[in-house]
Amino acid sequence: MYKILRGVACCQHAAVHSGVNNNHTALIFARTTQQLGRRLLGTAATGADEQVLSKRKFQPHHAIEPNEKPATQLPSQARVVICGGGITGASVAYHLALHGWGGETVLIEQDGVGGELPWSACGLAGRFEPSYTELKLAEYSIDLIKQLTARGLPTGWRQVGSLNLARNFDRMTSFHRMKSLAVAWGMNCEILTPEQCQQHCPLISLDGIEGGLWIPEDGVCDPHLVCHAFIAEAQRLGARIVEHCAVKKIHSEHGKVARVETTAGDVDCDYFVNCTGFWAREVGTLSKPVVKVPLKAVEHHYLHTKPIENLDPNTPFVRDFDGRIFFRECEGHILAGGYEREAKMVYEDGIIPLSQEARQYPPDWDHFHELLDALLQRVPSFRDASLDRLTNSLQVFSPDCKWILGEAPEIQNYYVAAGNKTMGVSASGGIGRVLTDLITKGSTYLDLHILDISRFLGLHNNRKFLRDRCKEAPGKHFEINYPFEEFQTGRNLRMSPIYPQLKEAGAVFGQSMGYERPNFFDLNDKQDEFGLPRFRIAQTRTFGKPPWFDHVASEYRACRERIGIADYSSFTKYDFWSKGNEVVELLQYLCSNDVDVAVGSIIHTGMQNPNGGYENDCSLARLSEHHYMMIAPTIQQTRSMCWIRKHTPQHLRAKVNVADVTSMYTAICILGPYSRILLSELTDTDLTPKSFPFFTYKELDVGLADGIRVLNITHTGELGYVLYIPNEYALHVYSRLHQAGQKYQIQHAGYYATRALRIEKFYAFWGQDLDTFTTPLECGRSWRVKFNKPIDFIGRSALLKQREEGVKRMYVQLLLNDHDHEVDMWCWGGEPIYRDGVYVGMTTTTGYGYTFEKQVCLGFVRNFDEHGHELAVSNEYVLSGHYEVEVAGVRFEAKVNLHSPNLPTKFPDREREAYHATRDKPDQADLLSFGNSSSSSGGDDANQTMTRH
Amino acid sequence: MLKFVLHDAIGYVRNNVREFSLNALRLLPQLPQLSPYDVNLALRENEFVYNFPLDGIIRSYETNQLGSNSPCEDSRTEASLLHRNGFICGVFDGHGGAACGQVVSKRLLRYISAGTLPRQVLREQMKQGCTSQSFLKCHNDNVDFVSEIRPIYENSFQQYIKRLSAEPQRDVATELEQAFQQLDEDLALEALATNDVRTMSVALSGAVACLVHLEGLQLHVASTGDCGAVLGVLDPQTNQWQVKKLNSEHNADNMQEVERILQEHPREERETIIRNGRLLSQLAPLRAFGDYRYKWPVETMQQQVVPMFGEHVMPPNYYTPPYLTARPDVQQHELGVNDKFLVIASDGLWDFLTPSEVVSLVGEHINSKKILEPMRLPSGDVKLKEISAQLAERKAGLTRKPIDQNAATHLIRHALGATEYGIEHSKISYYLSLPQDVVRLYRDDITITVIYFNSEHIAKLRNETSTASSSSSSSSSSQPQPAA
Repeated sequence: MYKILRGVACCQHAAVHSGVNNNHTALIFARTTQQLGRRLLGTAATGADEQVLSKRKFQPHHAIEPNEKPATQLPSQARVVICGGGITGASVAYHLALHGWGGETVLIEQDGVGGELPWSACGLAGRFEPSYTELKLAEYSIDLIKQLTARGLPTGWRQVGSLNLARNFDRMTSFHRMKSLAVAWGMNCEILTPEQCQQHCPLISLDGIEGGLWIPEDGVCDPHLVCHAFIAEAQRLGARIVEHCAVKKIHSEHGKVARVETTAGDVDCDYFVNCTGFWAREVGTLSKPVVKVPLKAVEHHYLHTKPIENLDPNTPFVRDFDGRIFFRECEGHILAGGYEREAKMVYEDGIIPLSQEARQYPPDWDHFHELLDALLQRVPSFRDASLDRLTNSLQVFSPDCKWILGEAPEIQNYYVAAGNKTMGVSASGGIGRVLTDLITKGSTYLDLHILDISRFLGLHNNRKFLRDRCKEAPGKHFEINYPFEEFQTGRNLRMSPIYPQLKEAGAVFGQSMGYERPNFFDLNDKQDEFGLPRFRIAQTRTFGKPPWFDHVASEYRACRERIGIADYSSFTKYDFWSKGNEVVELLQYLCSNDVDVAVGSIIHTGMQNPNGGYENDCSLARLSEHHYMMIAPTIQQTRSMCWIRKHTPQHLRAKVNVADVTSMYTAICILGPYSRILLSELTDTDLTPKSFPFFTYKELDVGLADGIRVLNITHTGELGYVLYIPNEYALHVYSRLHQAGQKYQIQHAGYYATRALRIEKFYAFWGQDLDTFTTPLECGRSWRVKFNKPIDFIGRSALLKQREEGVKRMYVQLLLNDHDHEVDMWCWGGEPIYRDGVYVGMTTTTGYGYTFEKQVCLGFVRNFDEHGHELAVSNEYVLSGHYEVEVAGVRFEAKVNLHSPNLPTKFPDREREAYHATRDKPDQADLLSFGNSSSSSGGDDANQTMTRH
Repeated sequence: MLKFVLHDAIGYVRNNVREFSLNALRLLPQLPQLSPYDVNLALRENEFVYNFPLDGIIRSYETNQLGSNSPCEDSRTEASLLHRNGFICGVFDGHGGAACGQVVSKRLLRYISAGTLPRQVLREQMKQGCTSQSFLKCHNDNVDFVSEIRPIYENSFQQYIKRLSAEPQRDVATELEQAFQQLDEDLALEALATNDVRTMSVALSGAVACLVHLEGLQLHVASTGDCGAVLGVLDPQTNQWQVKKLNSEHNADNMQEVERILQEHPREERETIIRNGRLLSQLAPLRAFGDYRYKWPVETMQQQVVPMFGEHVMPPNYYTPPYLTARPDVQQHELGVNDKFLVIASDGLWDFLTPSEVVSLVGEHINSKKILEPMRLPSGDVKLKEISAQLAERKAGLTRKPIDQNAATHLIRHALGATEYGIEHSKISYYLSLPQDVVRLYRDDITITVIYFNSEHIAKLRNETSTASSSSSSSSSSQPQPAA
């Protein structure tokens, strides 16, 4: 090493001597020698430099005063250790105790329980939430608070109702949508005229108000009292609360929680629940591996007035969304606050002081100004109210402004409940219940995937990403919930190798799991003032006909009539392999379809949970005897790995390799009638259906590149191929495809176009149509469940039972009649479906069918008797009804479909017509899969095709 | 190891090429144009803001750093002093590698925090078994020494405070000087004693430092080398910003400094000591931490350093070392109500902006942020409408909202992008997208810390002190103290 150093020293020295003589050639010489020196020094010098310092880690604190002894002795063993004595932790403790685990539950809190300062929360117990899951959790919380109140515990609960105001048409539309949903979600609410709004709350001015939404069963409470009520009940039921005890480390053994180390000693435990609110992200770093809990604290203000005379104590909780403000009555005065457009960051280094005093932030009046003015505009009489104080308390937000809960992907039995924003009271009860269910039973009564902690990747936990993104998150809270809303910050993070080309081609992007994905292509205005491609974020911002309608129409036509090229790179891609037959054994156990098919086949299968619901919906390509590739939805990247790891039987663990190869491959899809001709031009392999049938896999050479995994499917119902290209070849392959495609007028297609294709073709997607509560039998996919395969796969018994008893809901396609796409509000998912005037279910994904020239809704239909009991749903039941779909308060007649339709086309294709993703007759499946094992050329789907023709 | 020599050569040519640099830049093969979003990301990457509780002399500080070298050779550290009400922060510009700057930036504050602590408290703490980090609390402190190095440094520190506890208390200025020199000596001892390539690289690389020590109203600025500190003073009559420079750079332009060095060495060397504006024709700053190639006796060099690195490690004309010292100049200043902020920055900033430009930029930034006067509510009952009116008035004052919240980023943006007609995005983009091997010619590492004072609290303190001792009040500035 020193030899190298000496050499460098020598030539640098020479360089300096000439350099200082101010000679320009010497300067260049200096530059080159410096480069050389740098390269040589690379390991030696910079290595040494870096070794002097190392990054500091989050240290468990030593904040405990020696005189503040823990109130109760910490037991050395417990089943569950809950960390954090805020309202969430208290609720989890209460529910565990309720479930009979009280004696085995310990809650530790570094300070005192319910430690937040009084009135650093608004105390709203409301149910105006954007999704079914969140609403149901909030509803349960409210019922629980009512229950506690009825039992005489102080909670401060008063059912004053909540009044939500709209200042514009779109907001009003969102209220109408909410009202439509209310029937489905079992919630009482009422649309109000401006005058009726004033009747509910005479204080408000009607200036600019278009109307309102009244939710009578909402109310207010005092979060501190509720927290203490939870604690008291938990203690009564045997749970132990240990205050002034901070967690130092969470130890795991064999990937499971084993022991918690605290300032008051160690506790051996089976489960750990991280409910530490502000500190959840930091507490996450106290284990190995680090549990990623992406959260960021921001400032949040509450305004308190002095008592106001004659203030009606039953003043409802008023939210003026467009003014971004809310207010309520509270002990004779007004408590108000709001959600500013851009939040102010605090504690940028992520380290939030543990003590109450150190966390006190001075109020920022200038920041609050906009909200104050909005408040005074809404309630002019407050102008004369006197100020008591403006408090600045912190709130934490997750990067997508949703709660975070569930089992950590990194460590089993490590649960997280955090990011409850300002809605701790509304969230905590429900969260306590579902976490308790998960801990004690392994499943719960709601589909939680939108709140699950496994929706994140490592990037979401990056401190700088959070700092960038969470400015925007709080503002989202009061924003209109437009379809396809995108964040403006934290962008350009994950990009496929062909991203620059797509941007140049006019792509307008959407983000999924941090991946920039073209949503559509707009050739106008695609360059900035320097003539460089502009980065544009897709916006819809309407509930009616979206601004991208025409672009998508043209992309759609290209895919159906000529050829489209789309970037699928964000899809989750895993490789499974083993030396022996273990990989087949594992997949047979995890998947409901039969994966033991001929090499080169593709199997479309679900991974079911014990209740038969979809944990994952994926395509498996059998690359070789003991090697499979899995393609799953983008949002499954963390989630499915968790599921697979957790459910791999012990004896297979060491033998089967599962690798996430998402970042290694670029996925380009070419779809449309000319896709086969185009690809044939670029490869030596014969692509005729005989040698490369539909639903099979081949490794091809394309252009000058090779080793490209080509799947003869498109996930849209069109014929075509998805090419999984090793990243370094991606640009080459893309350029060749695009170039060669010119004569077929190849056109870029974005996500919206492929989505429109698959909706029309009645293809279900996980995360949108399918969730953990949907079974294959309910969505016309029973032919993809192989009950007769020789293994008791997960969910088999539940599915068998369901086959016996019949399904309680059925996946249908509805085509709206008399809907004018130019003027009527569109369906965006979540519209109630009526059968003969009775509510029977909700739509999941919807879109405009460019071939049908109609709104197409996918959704589930149930069958309730007059007592509200669910009955089995049969094909006859579904097909016999008269259907309507209610879109923002207006009902449209609809025609129902049970199987994928045949779309009229100029390019009839036997294969395509034969393939129906969703099929109506369950027994049809068994018939079709008859020839399965005999054929060697393709998978089950291909075989079915052949059998039919 | 000798990267620093080259670094200085680059510093030398940098000043000469900057004039034509922008034109030359346009002739370079088309550089990628960064989007405003990318520029913001780059400029804001190292931003940090810390707000203090309301009842302190310092309201907040804002800091940022933009690297040019890779790794960046600048460092910065800010800390609150424990066991008393004080604040200490420093900016460090390393050369010849980042090692010395990084080490000094962490250790110097620890040395000083112990040195300026009343001896009585120090002794008590020592009885309780204190460590080098017992006397201060660092903010934004994300790195720590690696475990092999930590005990060596801790040991040096313990010896230092042991000696310190035996000595009588001296004034802050002397303590600062002592701490600087002691740390510098320790660097050498550690390098020679441990024979570890890491400690040696710390001693052979160099760093200049500018350090601010504030306790009560007493502000001390200790500076070694060519960083700079300026105070922004608001003239209450004219409402104009005035500049008060709190240090003088130790480089060849400083005649006093040149004279000092020449005095310290025999007459024969007059021609060789400072050549081409550099010490021994190599080193630009005339004082620095580390850089032991200019400090160790000839024998030490021959015996310990040359065998390791070769003959060329010896500077030319190396006869009567030491040629270099880490001794700082210390200036004392008593804060007044008109002192609003203090900017300390490495020479990367001063290459672009003059002190008066810096003060007016930060002043402007303050005006737009109104950070100096947080909303002051009238006492007693105040109606919400009055608050609203007052806020509206303040808002009207926000004539030009700066792009950056952080004043340090604001300065960097102006340093890189200022033109006659305002900030030019493409110019910043050029500077930021220069290839790694030429970027050092156009801009050095820039590190800036802006400290905002709490005028109300200063006024309160001044009233207290003036009632207590009616003497020293008005003449807040004092002459630079000659080095001991």
